[in-house]
Amino acid sequence: MTNKTKLPQHQLWDTPWGYAESFLIGFGLLITGFVMEASLGSQTAISLVFPYNLLLLITYICVLIALYKWASHHPIVRWLSKVPASITSIVLVTLLVMIMGIIPQISSDNYIVNLLGLNHITTNWAFLLIIGLFLTCLGLISIKRIAQFSKANFGFVLNHVGLFIALTAGILGSGDIQRASIELKENEANYMAVDQSDGSPVELSFAMLLKDFKLEEYAPKLALIDNESGEILHNHGKNLYQISEGEQYLYEGFEVEVLSYLSMSSPFGSRYVRVNEQGSSPAALLKVTNTKTNETIENWISCGSFAQQYRSLKISDQYSLVMTIPEAKKFSSELEILTRDGNRFSTTIEVNKAHKHDFWEIYQLDYNKGMGKWSTTSIIELVRDPWLPVIYTGIFMMIFGAFYMFWVGNKITKND
Amino acid sequence: MTWINFPLYSGIVAVFFLIGLAVLGYSYKKPSTFKIASILFTIGWGVLVLFVVQLWIELERPPMRTLGETRLWYALFLPVIGGLTYLRWHYKWFLAYSILMALLFLGINYANPETYSKTLMPALQSPWFVPHVLVYLLSYAVLAASSIVALKGWGDYYKNKSKSSTLALADNLVYIGFAFLTLGLLFGALWAKEAWGHYWTWDPKEIWAFLTWMGYLIYIHYRHFHPQKDKQALTILALAFVVLLVCWFGVNYLPVAQTSVHTYTQY
Repeated sequence: MTNKTKLPQHQLWDTPWGYAESFLIGFGLLITGFVMEASLGSQTAISLVFPYNLLLLITYICVLIALYKWASHHPIVRWLSKVPASITSIVLVTLLVMIMGIIPQISSDNYIVNLLGLNHITTNWAFLLIIGLFLTCLGLISIKRIAQFSKANFGFVLNHVGLFIALTAGILGSGDIQRASIELKENEANYMAVDQSDGSPVELSFAMLLKDFKLEEYAPKLALIDNESGEILHNHGKNLYQISEGEQYLYEGFEVEVLSYLSMSSPFGSRYVRVNEQGSSPAALLKVTNTKTNETIENWISCGSFAQQYRSLKISDQYSLVMTIPEAKKFSSELEILTRDGNRFSTTIEVNKAHKHDFWEIYQLDYNKGMGKWSTTSIIELVRDPWLPVIYTGIFMMIFGAFYMFWVGNKITKND
Repeated sequence: MTWINFPLYSGIVAVFFLIGLAVLGYSYKKPSTFKIASILFTIGWGVLVLFVVQLWIELERPPMRTLGETRLWYALFLPVIGGLTYLRWHYKWFLAYSILMALLFLGINYANPETYSKTLMPALQSPWFVPHVLVYLLSYAVLAASSIVALKGWGDYYKNKSKSSTLALADNLVYIGFAFLTLGLLFGALWAKEAWGHYWTWDPKEIWAFLTWMGYLIYIHYRHFHPQKDKQALTILALAFVVLLVCWFGVNYLPVAQTSVHTYTQY
């Protein structure tokens, strides 16, 4: 403020443009975008596919370079490569993403949400215009710093160019991403996947044979429920006790001891016995003592399975104890990949451990949940993203930029 | 269940920290006693480290899943940040603050006992889990510290004795915190590609992490180009921290939480 009073009166739209002009232009773009959204709509995502997205990217970068080289004194270009425009565009992107962070991005009944497309911000015209402004600012200053490169610029270039590369490649490349899923049954080969975006069939250049699907489980947990509502009472359903033989737990005046725990069992009369067969379920023998009356009950509970009934234990008029369905610890598919020219590759995939074959990244996605660990079906996801190396270049530039920033931050501290 | 040990461990830590704080207060009168305070803080902190190590071993998984577990890490990191800042800047008030905050986090955990569960869903079983969460926790702790510096800055501003060194300290903390924030975000993207097949899915937690990053990005740019405008910079810093808080635990209460894959604490 003190600076301004020394300068001659700055009229709105006098160049160079400052924050007032920047925000007016920014909000102008925002309103234009929402008007376009309301009149044109954008229910179908605007996604460019190869080679048009690559052409657009090259053209865009050429235009930015040309602007820097031959038009850098034009008021608009000068404004775009200055701080007020940058900060304005960061603020507006933040604003739009904040809408995305508050309004669920799923179909809505709200008139305004639908009219302005607030439930699909990433394909909203307003978002595209503002991101365009943001990238143009970022692109212009990146080009400027590369053109005037010096050692001191190193961190700046890594951070800004890295972000520019990652964002442009991510946005323009999204049209080339293909996601398909395929359901495999044990000992059957399959090469027909289903595209996740439109459900159309995708014929793969190779077949996959599921040799084995394996699932490991954690021990089930013990929960105290209300007999009337059926709700879990203990700890609002969070952090339940895991069942373990010999352990003792305390629930609302009841002492519960696990006398015996069988991970695979079958009911046999009024008790459970250890078995090793399909559809066997975990079961536990509990001893429950009412600490007020000293009454004890001893009985079995089980969470059941696709083949067996569950069994709860009523411990008072108000409460029952139940066993929760075990959570998956690890699930994996042993696959054989069969190529057209007769080659076979064996691999095992699991969550967080994908396998790459023929441009496809192959992921363990799901299984037949109803069958649990007895599932013989494995659902595999295939993802193809040809732009990934470009995006990773940007991401790794930013990672090095972050280390550099950390380092220089230290330097500033030391020199101060 | 290690949680049962927690009152004992946190009790010991609290005793050392509280006596340390008293000695620290006294050291304003008699500077030579500061050494005793720092020894007390170090012992208390050592006990806390011991607890975290034991918890990690007993759970057979990194204790970084639930909110209570993350609070434990703040209690662990804050004294370190306070100590390092003291070594560089000699701010006793800041050291005292970081110890108090650590005590507050321990207190919250004491009031909300968790029966730590060993289960860790398959998506979280990855070599990325520890670095991703650890850089985030470190970043949040440093950025929380920067907002306390901002509060001090506000106080100074209204008493008309603004010191450039206060905002310089905030800047340094924000730079370090922001570097870690960037790493957390990018590690998260690399991990997401491995686990879910895509590096960015606009999950509500991702959205708010991105917003936090943008908030501090605004602060850094604003400070860089308008170093004289203290009041505006302090406002931006305060707002950025609000966004960080939403990202940390506010997301769970927003209508978007239903569509998030980052809510791991239900069971």
